[in-house]
Amino acid sequence: MADVTITAPTAAAAVEQPLPPRPAARLSRRGLERLDLMLLSVEALDLNGGEAMVWMASQLGFGSLFPNRVELWKRRCYNPLRLACRRGELSEAETDALISLLCAMAERLYPMLRQLLSASEPEATTQQRWQLFRTRLDELVRERLNPRRGGVQKLLDPQEGPRLQRQLVQGLAFGSGRGGFDRLKASLMDAAA
Amino acid sequence: MKLSYRYEQTSCRLRIDGLPDLSAGHGPEVIGILSGWEMDLAGHPTLEGKRDHLHALLATVLPYARQLVSSVPRPVGASTGPVQMEPITSSRGGLRNRPAHRLRLHSSQPDTQPLELSFDDAELADLVRCLDQLRLDSRVQLGLTLPPDRPLLRREILERVPKRQRLAAPAAGLAALAITAAIGLMVPLPRRTATPAASPAATPTSPLTPPP
Repeated sequence: MADVTITAPTAAAAVEQPLPPRPAARLSRRGLERLDLMLLSVEALDLNGGEAMVWMASQLGFGSLFPNRVELWKRRCYNPLRLACRRGELSEAETDALISLLCAMAERLYPMLRQLLSASEPEATTQQRWQLFRTRLDELVRERLNPRRGGVQKLLDPQEGPRLQRQLVQGLAFGSGRGGFDRLKASLMDAAA
Repeated sequence: MKLSYRYEQTSCRLRIDGLPDLSAGHGPEVIGILSGWEMDLAGHPTLEGKRDHLHALLATVLPYARQLVSSVPRPVGASTGPVQMEPITSSRGGLRNRPAHRLRLHSSQPDTQPLELSFDDAELADLVRCLDQLRLDSRVQLGLTLPPDRPLLRREILERVPKRQRLAAPAAGLAALAITAAIGLMVPLPRRTATPAASPAATPTSPLTPPP
């Protein structure tokens, strides 16, 4: 009797497979806020994140929804913390596409997320990595979000900010990949505290 | 023909052995009957078991990870069950990376102490990704169904906020009310002034002419 050993499908193959069934619902404003903050964290981790998102969107088959950076930016502006905030709600297809995009980007950046969260890395190196991430995220937050909003002030607060930024990175790590879609979507639909 | 599939992450490796269930119409590359599984976790002993153990592992670790995405780590799994997952609370350490999650496995063998494994966030994320790969692999059809992830309710999220912080605002409000009431009580009530009686019509009782 011959044994057959086959390894797990690669990430490229995973992208082509259909997404798992999803619960039907729209995201609240709070959910959109957190979704955009996580996308902002992706940009803080990846200097070329904006372009990479458009490329990833076309790879995932969302080329018609997000053909360019402007269309992607317009959807992200439904985040109430944005300087150029848009009113209204996004359709479920649009939020699902954004979450899928976020999961795929988190999968791509998973090695970096893992380094940030690992206790086996040297402490000094980990601190440097966090410092770099925080600096970049703070810059992006100052540039794009409304500094008068309480949520933005909390994010930039030296006491409160690091905890919130760590929660964003944790959310990205545990929501990475196709398997993270349902977890992330359910989390973004949490009731308001 | 025996099939064996592997799922690998940096600190976690899962191997699934089994056979196609031809009676269920599975193809030759689909594992429908599990003959065994083995999981290597960096720095921990190798885990192995049967289908039920694998199902219990999936049904515990993945819901725990779901709560972590919402930053509400809470224990998952009954103490009588085969697998439990719980956060390790630490008063010091703050935001530093540390083993913050404990997986407790109860052996089906009698008189065996439960095995406790602790993970940091990165190791747990590796484990979760391994289990996700298995769950979503169309070549493994073991019927390991899990309840769908659901949004957390308001009271479940409130646990995320420390009790002291949660009660601070109402306590401050009550204190402010009590102080205002106390000060109010100390202020003397304004003395009621007697209302002047309606003065009778002025009727001269004596001649108005001045006395001579």
